[in-house]
Amino acid sequence: MRWLSLLLFLFFAGCDKPSDKIIIATAANVQYVMKEIQQEFEKESGKKIQIVVGSSGKLTTQIREGAPFDVFVSADVKYPQEIFEKGGGAEKPKVYALGTLVLWSKDIAENDLTTDVLTTEKVKKIAVPNPKVAPYGEAAIQVLAAKNLLKTIEKKLVYGESIAQTAQYITSGSAEAGFNALSIVLSDEMKGKGHYVIIDSTLYKPIQQAAILLKHSDDSPKKAGSEAFYQFLYSQKAKAIFRKYGYK
Amino acid sequence: MDFQPLLLTFKLATITSLILLVVSLPIAYWLAFAKFKGRGVVEAIIGMPLVLPPSVIGFYLLLAFSPSYWFGNFIESIFGLRLVFSFSGLVIASVLYSLPFMVYPIRAGLQSLPASLREASYTLGKNEWDTFFKVLLPNCKPALLTAFVLTFAHTVGEFGVVLMIGGNIPGVTKVASVAIYNEVEALNYPAANQYAMVLFAVTFLILLVVYSVNNSLLRVRQSS
Repeated sequence: MRWLSLLLFLFFAGCDKPSDKIIIATAANVQYVMKEIQQEFEKESGKKIQIVVGSSGKLTTQIREGAPFDVFVSADVKYPQEIFEKGGGAEKPKVYALGTLVLWSKDIAENDLTTDVLTTEKVKKIAVPNPKVAPYGEAAIQVLAAKNLLKTIEKKLVYGESIAQTAQYITSGSAEAGFNALSIVLSDEMKGKGHYVIIDSTLYKPIQQAAILLKHSDDSPKKAGSEAFYQFLYSQKAKAIFRKYGYK
Repeated sequence: MDFQPLLLTFKLATITSLILLVVSLPIAYWLAFAKFKGRGVVEAIIGMPLVLPPSVIGFYLLLAFSPSYWFGNFIESIFGLRLVFSFSGLVIASVLYSLPFMVYPIRAGLQSLPASLREASYTLGKNEWDTFFKVLLPNCKPALLTAFVLTFAHTVGEFGVVLMIGGNIPGVTKVASVAIYNEVEALNYPAANQYAMVLFAVTFLILLVVYSVNNSLLRVRQSS
């Protein structure tokens, strides 16, 4: 009998009513900076938020299928725009930061680390985030095209599924060099791993990262909190944190 | 539709299955009939890919194949070959990943044969080699077919490992399962659907053929 009541207790304890915690869907490349934004926001507002990390494409699919997210912090403009057009947003997506592209290597020193080193024997594989889905990958291809290197090194390119996997290819030395986001290189997890140089930002189209406030019904308990977080994302305080992590 | 990822998938699955067939015959024979200590350890190791998440296998292979670690470095300096991001790397990964799917059905097939079959063959003067190839194997054709097809299908369905060590290079490591994943990620559902449909149909056909052939083989055996 006692076991039964314990079992029943566990069962009902597990079936909590849907939490009114605000859930922020976060693109993988902003996950590190979001941790700090989260701390800052929770301190300021006293509200707890939860962060769900995924690739922008996957999160978009999930949002379209009705995932209970409140704000979507994407790695580019395309995906939130897509959600907005399908009627899932409370308002138009807004750019919260501009990303910075870097060339990164485990073993090649900063002085030698230029796009020219990519054509040499020293570099056998170059890791690039999949340009089809990752904005930093798209930017990397633009840089290579602008430098007229694309044809000569095309055979060396390997594509990471996300910016994080591309980082793994580079830091494990599987690829001698690769392109990535400054925010990843500067994160606590990756700090000091290898060498990097910032790519001239005139060589690629600005990497605009946008967020969108997702639609809530008027009586939703999460509406006010979500709006507050969305506002916070564009505040001076948040801007300072973004800058610290290499965003503009 | 771009057929390259599909062709690559079937090429990978065919090569992997053929290699595994050769590798697994002695292993299955050994496991089925040999008496030795530590059998549990060997069986556990061979069976690990059945239960390990593919991402675990992929992660360790990525490190093992990378030239900054000793194995990858050794292979690169001796053979001038880099396994990570290459088709040969995928083949090696698939062989490890699908090993139990080839070994276990063959072993089960061998063990299900009556001991008198082997004993009769030995009594009639055949050695172990001849007995294995001319008596035992022909008598467990359904097991061989099942093993081959399971391995093939399992390799076609491989995803996590390829995603970790493949690098998504068109024509080299971008297999169909990864192509589907990419198209979904790019919100290009029609393209993903085309690949998925082909895999769906092919997988069904393969299994249909296996079960039909196996059923008729068993029927022959039962009626004789």
